Amino acid sequence: MWKKVYEWLDERLGLNDLYKNLLDRPEPKGNWWNTLGSAALFLFILQGVTGIFLTVYYTPSPDHAYDSINYIMNGVAFGWLIRGIHHWGATLMVVVVFIHMLRVFVTASFKYPRELTWLIGIGLFLLTLGMGFTGYLLPWNQQSYWATTVGTQIAGSVPFIGDFILKALRGGPDLSALTLQRFFSAHIWMLPAALAGLIGVHLYLIIKHGESNFPSKED
Amino acid sequence: MDNETKQKINKRYERELNRGERFWPDSIFKDLIVSLGIFVLLIVLATFIGVDAQPKVDPSDTTYIPRPEWYFLFLFKFLAIYGQIPLLGKIEWLATVVVPGIAILILALMPFIDRSPFRYYGKRVLPISVMAVIVVDIVMLTIMADVPTVTENGSMLPGILQAIAGMVIPLVAIILLFLMTFVFRRTSTKTMIWTAAISAVLTIGLTGSVLALFPVPAAQKTTVATTLVDQITAGQDLYSANCTQCHGDDGKVTKIEGVKGLEGKLIPAIHSTDVLYTLDDAALAQVIAYGRPEAGMTPFGKTYGGQLSASDIDNIVIFMRYTWDDRFEAPKLKPLFPPLAAGEVPSYAVHIQPIVKRYCLSCHVAGKENNNFLMDSYDNILHTGDHKANDVIAGDANSYLLQVIQGHPIPDPKDPTKTLIRAMPPNGHLPPNVIDALMRWIMAGMPQTAADAAKLSVTPTPAAGSAGTPSATPTP
Ligand code: HEC
Ligand code: HEC
Ligand code: HEM
Repeated sequence: MWKKVYEWLDERLGLNDLYKNLLDRPEPKGNWWNTLGSAALFLFILQGVTGIFLTVYYTPSPDHAYDSINYIMNGVAFGWLIRGIHHWGATLMVVVVFIHMLRVFVTASFKYPRELTWLIGIGLFLLTLGMGFTGYLLPWNQQSYWATTVGTQIAGSVPFIGDFILKALRGGPDLSALTLQRFFSAHIWMLPAALAGLIGVHLYLIIKHGESNFPSKED
Repeated sequence: MDNETKQKINKRYERELNRGERFWPDSIFKDLIVSLGIFVLLIVLATFIGVDAQPKVDPSDTTYIPRPEWYFLFLFKFLAIYGQIPLLGKIEWLATVVVPGIAILILALMPFIDRSPFRYYGKRVLPISVMAVIVVDIVMLTIMADVPTVTENGSMLPGILQAIAGMVIPLVAIILLFLMTFVFRRTSTKTMIWTAAISAVLTIGLTGSVLALFPVPAAQKTTVATTLVDQITAGQDLYSANCTQCHGDDGKVTKIEGVKGLEGKLIPAIHSTDVLYTLDDAALAQVIAYGRPEAGMTPFGKTYGGQLSASDIDNIVIFMRYTWDDRFEAPKLKPLFPPLAAGEVPSYAVHIQPIVKRYCLSCHVAGKENNNFLMDSYDNILHTGDHKANDVIAGDANSYLLQVIQGHPIPDPKDPTKTLIRAMPPNGHLPPNVIDALMRWIMAGMPQTAADAAKLSVTPTPAAGSAGTPSATPTP
C-alpha cells in the first residue's frame, strides 16, 4: 500500500531524483565545525516560526506595542516561552553565524570555487545583524528606544547623505510611530525575504560545489 | 587563477570525496544533533533566564543611558575610545562609517584579496593571525563596554588604558604582522604566531586590569511591574504617594482641604463615572502627565517637569480603572501586608516596609522636606530625624511617630501655640489596621525580621487567638 503511494508520488514529484541529488551525496570527511551553517539555518527557521506566532498578538504602534508584549509575556499561554525563544534565538543566531563565518575563514573555504558562497554569506551576516537591530526596537521600551535613537544617529553620521539616511530610517527627524512601523515592516517582511532568498542561493551553491574538505598539508 | 591550478584543486577535492562520507545520513546526523542541542539550550534560556522586563518608552527621560544589543557593544566601545583621540576624535564619521565600512569591504573581498590557492593553515599565517587579533579585540571591547572612559572624579586613566588595550596593541600587532610578511620576508611562522599571541595576552590582561581597577558601576535595578496585580499595586503606591493630598485616599474628594493655595477648591471626584467614563486611558495619562496647572493640579510627567515616568503613570491609570471603574473587574489583590492575629507582632521586613513604602516614603527620603527623618531603611527609621530621640522609642506610645500617625500633632515645647510636627501623613489619614500595625511594632520593640517578630509574639501560632479582636481578624 505505502509502496504504491510512494511510487505514485515519486512519478509526479521525482522523489528518487531528489533523494539522489540532495541527500545521497558524497561529502569529505565530516567535522563538527561544519554543522554551524545548518545550525544557522535551523535558527533562521525557528526565528521565523516563533516570530510568526508573536505577530498574532504584537501590535506595532507606540500606544500598544509595549502593552502587547506585556500581554504576550503574562496573558498568553506559553507566550513567555515563544518570546523567550525568539529573544535568545536572535542572540544565538548572531553568535552562530559569526562563528560559522570564522570557521569558513580559518579553513579558507571561501577560495575557488566557493567565492560567491562567501560573498553571499557576507550579505547574510549583514542581514542577520539588521534583523537584530530592527527587532530590538519593537518592544518599544526605554532600552530599545534609546538604543535605536543612538543607532540611527550613528547611521546618520555618514558625510553628505547622513541626514537622508537618518530620516529614511526614522521616517522623520525623530523616532516616532513611523519609525516603529518601518522597523516592523523591515523586521518581518523585507529583511527575512532577503535572507530567505540569499539563503536559497547559498544552499544551492553549497550543494553545487559540495562541502569543502578540511585543509591538510596538501592544500 | 589558471586552469591548471583549478584542475588540481578539483582533482584533490575528488580524492577527498572518495574517502569521505555520505551527506545522508552521516552529515545530517551531526547537523540534527547540534540543532537539537541548540533548541534545548533555547528552551532552558527562555525558561530560566527569560527576558528582562524594561520600563516603557519615555522620550522625555534623557537621562536614560542607551545600551544597544550586546553584539553591537564592541562598536559602541570602539566609538567611545576613538572619540578621546585629540582632533581626529572629532571627525566622527571616520569611526562610524569609514573604519567599519573598510573592515566589511575587506572581509567581503577576501576571496579576491587572498588569491593564493593554498588553504592549509601553515600557509595562511598572516590572515589567520590578523583575524585572531581582531576577534580577541572584539571580544575584549565587548567585555569592557560598560566601563566608562572617564571616572567620576574626572580621571582619564580608564579611557587611556582602554585605548591601549582595545586599539593600540591590536593595531601595532597587525602592523607588525604585515611588516613581517611583506617587508622582512624571512620571518618565521613561529615569530608571527608569537606576535599574535602576545598581543592577545596583553589585550586580555589589560582588559582584566581595567575591569579590576574600575569596576563597572552597578546598573540601578528598576523593578518593572508586568503582571496586572503588580501594576495595580504599583499604581496604588504611586497614587497614595502623589495624589491623596488633593484627591483623598479613594478619589472621593470634591473640595480640597489643607493644601496651600487650593484651600476650598471644588474639583470633580476622580473616582466617579463622570470622570472615568469620559476620559479614556490616554486622556487620563495625559491629565496626570500635564496636570491641570491652571486649575491647580501640578504636572507629574517627566516631560513636564514632574517625577513620574510613562510606566508609572500607566500604572496609576490601571490602578484607577481596576479600583473605581465598574466596567473593570479587579483581579484578587494581595493585601498590603498579611493581616495580624491577636498578640502577633509585626516585623519590619514583612509588614512595616510595605506600609512605609505606600504611605510615607514619598516624602521621607533624602532631598525632601521631612525634618531629616528618612524612612528608606530599617536603620534610618530608628536613627534619623531632627527629633530622633523622641521619634521612635521602643515600648513608648508617646513616640512622636505613633502620635502623629494617629492624627495628634506634636506641639512645640517652647511655644505650645505652634506645632512642631504636623499629623502624618500631612494630608489624609491612615487606615486603622495600618495604625494598629505600626503601634504594635513600636510597642514590641521594632523587630526587624519575621523571625525576631515571631519570638516577641504572645501567641505561638498567629491564627490561635484571633477570636474577639476585631482589628485583627485575619482574612481567610
Ligand atoms: C495639588 C493638588 C493635586 C494633586 C496632588 C493631584 N491633583 Fe488631580 N486635580 C487637581 C485639581 C485642582 C483638579 C481639577 C482640575 C479641573 O477642575 O479642571 C484635578 C483634576 C484631576 C483629574 C481630572 C478630572 C476631570 O474630570 O477633569 C484627574 C483624572 C486627576 N486630577 C487625577 C490625579 C492623579 C491621578 C493624581 C496623582 C498623580 C492627581 N490628580 C494629583 C489637583 C490635584
Ligand atoms: C506629604 C509628605 C509626607 C508624608 C506622606 C509623610 N510625612 Fe512625615 N513629615 C513630613 C514633613 C514635611 C515633616 C516635617 C515636620 C512638619 O512639616 O510637620 C515630617 C515629619 C515627620 C516626623 C517627625 C520627624 C522629626 O524627627 O522631626 C515623623 C515621625 C513623621 N513625619 C512620620 C511620618 C510617617 C510615619 C509617615 C507615613 C505614615 C509620614 N510621616 C508621611 C512630610 C510627610
Ligand atoms: C543566515 C546565515 C547563514 C546560513 C543559514 C548559512 C548556511 C550555510 C550552510 C547550511 C552551509 C553548509 C554547512 C557548513 O559548512 O556549515 C554553509 C556553508 C558556507 N557558508 Fe554559510 N550560512 C550563513 C552565513 C554565512 C556567512 C556569514 C558566511 C561568510 C561570510 C558564509 C559562508 C559560507 C561558505 C563559504 C560556505 C561553504 C563552506 C564549505 O564549503 O566548507 N555563510 N552555510
